[in-house]
Amino acid sequence: MTEFLQALILGLLIGGVYALLAAGLTLIFGVMNVINIAHGAFLILAAFITWSLWRATGVDPLAAIVVLTPVMFAFGWLLYNATIRPIRKAPPAASVLLTFGIALLLEGIMGAVWGNTSHSVRPSYFTQSFQIGEIFLPKAQVFGGLVAIVVLISLYLVLTRSWLGRAIRASAVNPQGAELVGVNVASVAALTFAIGVASAGAGGAIASVLYPFLPGSHYQWIARLLGIIVLGGMGSLPGAVIGALCLGVAELMTVTYIGPEWATGVPYLFVFIVLLLRPQGLLGTRLRQDVATA
Amino acid sequence: MRKLRSLVLATLAVTALAAAGCGGDDDSGGGGEAGGEPVKIGASLPLTGEFSEPGKAAKQGYEVWESMVNESGGLIDGRKVQMVIKDDGSNQNTIVADYNALISKDKVDLLLGTFSSLLNLPASAVAERNRMLYVEPAGGAPELFDRGFKYLFFAQQATADKQGEVWANYIADLPENERPKTAAYPTLDDPFAQPTSEGIEEIFTKAGIETVYRETYTIDNPNLDGIASAIKARNPDVVVNGATFEDGVGLVRALRKADFTPKIFYQTTAPSLGDQYSKAIGADTTEGIFYAVSHSKEASTPGNEEFVAKYREMFGGTEVPEDAADAYATAQVLQAAVEGVGTIDRERQLELADWLRENEVDTILGPLSWDEAGRPTGEFLVGQWQSGVPEIVLPEEAATSDKILPGWTPEGAGN
Repeated sequence: MTEFLQALILGLLIGGVYALLAAGLTLIFGVMNVINIAHGAFLILAAFITWSLWRATGVDPLAAIVVLTPVMFAFGWLLYNATIRPIRKAPPAASVLLTFGIALLLEGIMGAVWGNTSHSVRPSYFTQSFQIGEIFLPKAQVFGGLVAIVVLISLYLVLTRSWLGRAIRASAVNPQGAELVGVNVASVAALTFAIGVASAGAGGAIASVLYPFLPGSHYQWIARLLGIIVLGGMGSLPGAVIGALCLGVAELMTVTYIGPEWATGVPYLFVFIVLLLRPQGLLGTRLRQDVATA
Repeated sequence: MRKLRSLVLATLAVTALAAAGCGGDDDSGGGGEAGGEPVKIGASLPLTGEFSEPGKAAKQGYEVWESMVNESGGLIDGRKVQMVIKDDGSNQNTIVADYNALISKDKVDLLLGTFSSLLNLPASAVAERNRMLYVEPAGGAPELFDRGFKYLFFAQQATADKQGEVWANYIADLPENERPKTAAYPTLDDPFAQPTSEGIEEIFTKAGIETVYRETYTIDNPNLDGIASAIKARNPDVVVNGATFEDGVGLVRALRKADFTPKIFYQTTAPSLGDQYSKAIGADTTEGIFYAVSHSKEASTPGNEEFVAKYREMFGGTEVPEDAADAYATAQVLQAAVEGVGTIDRERQLELADWLRENEVDTILGPLSWDEAGRPTGEFLVGQWQSGVPEIVLPEEAATSDKILPGWTPEGAGN
């Protein structure tokens, strides 16, 4: 029983971090129909920047989020206007190719700047745990999970309570209608992309403490994140959160009860089964690609 | 899965390139006849990518040997040595192209091996196809020697399945009340780490130490916390972790986070990486961790003192990476064969290989000898971290410390 609870809690903690990372990806897809294959590379880029900040100043990697989020936001906005805006009218396949190209380019640049070796950020608490009875909660995961929840809630509030959020949702549901009522869909799209990249920035800072990373790690992340948003229903923010928690728990249960060598495979089997039974994903509705319906 | 795919691709590439190479290798016969021309020795090393740490150290080892041989008047007929070293980027396809280029384009006289079993697997096949002697500084996976190759030799004390033997026997021979009763074997899916841990398990099982956990994880599975939690639930006396660097460090951290300390802890590879290891997990945490190692800078093997001095002169620092020493020893083996037979002729490399099969070579790692398949027949040293310093504890004649700590005390030195 202890073992089960332990796996469940570790899975939920890691799922929270996955949720933050998947949120940006599903947001970008929901509003723009762009499948951003470079999302994993943005995340690793943020992790490397966190590493450099931590190395140079000793700043806590989770506190570095305050710096990283605006930097990544600006980076995302510039990148969108330079590369994605010109192909906005092209079919979605074009954006897949384009963002894959960006991912490869970033991988090369990161290799040249930071080297092709494994890095990890190690604040003082990273080998410590909170102990509750028989259960241990690694501090890094707890802090990472908490920060992820805070960022996710703010993102959710922005989407549901602000004018920008309403504009983003309007652009997702009906771009023509949004234009008619005075929403500048093109600039909303740029802002959405930037918000998505900024959330990858926050996620990257958290991930840098939890996992060692190297420039090529982005493949592994984008695979997992795509799995999550497909599972949750593409374009749905609550769906991404639920999908992320499911995948996190599925991974830990696999490690505990089936064997760690299956940890990368079994969760996808789970995704596969869900999609067979519910092709639109857990919270997706057929032919609806909206964000934050709640 | 990815590993399997790259393995298949590499095999295809080896076959294709080796076939292409076959047609063109008669043009090299009369390569370097002019008296003063240097002997060209080629190798491709992982100077970038995942294996860049050991790769760079191996390059240093080869360079130390090159300069020492040249200072003592050259390798053969007064001819000096010139190393030709390429970078394979830790990639199985690149390394095949590199060794083919060394043989047919650079027309090197002799080859030296590369780093890690994963890369030596395809590289040694290129050498074999071209009938060139191939002595490798790493690459102890047993599967390398199951292919019936005639030109392949491994210049360390033993293959991976025997790496933990000395230590496992020491534990198995402990008095009844000190001997562990249960063991856990979390192991990386790797051609080197896995056989090492299986070799230890075999000896332990015979000694009545029960296996309570054996699982394999992949390098892209970062969920070591789940593994640590599963191990904790089974509460083994001894944990044997077949690891490379990152995952080894990761597992130590995960065990610390889970607040589980087995009485005895053994790891492959990671603890032998000196400063890097103690920095990654914290010096206190290293206390009492066991590992296997091939070289000690304090060893009194012939030539070791000179090697260590030369290494420090060329590259500074006090640490001498094990991988640099292994590379140096590899070149020593090649040198012994060349001097023993008295030739570097590309057509007579089988004689060099036969000579190695029949003779023992003195190296800085100690005397090395090989069986028919090129497997070394010696024993590894056992290392243990004591008060923040890696020491050799077994066998006794090579020990640098006069005590063996009974177990792992990550809270720091003390009990």
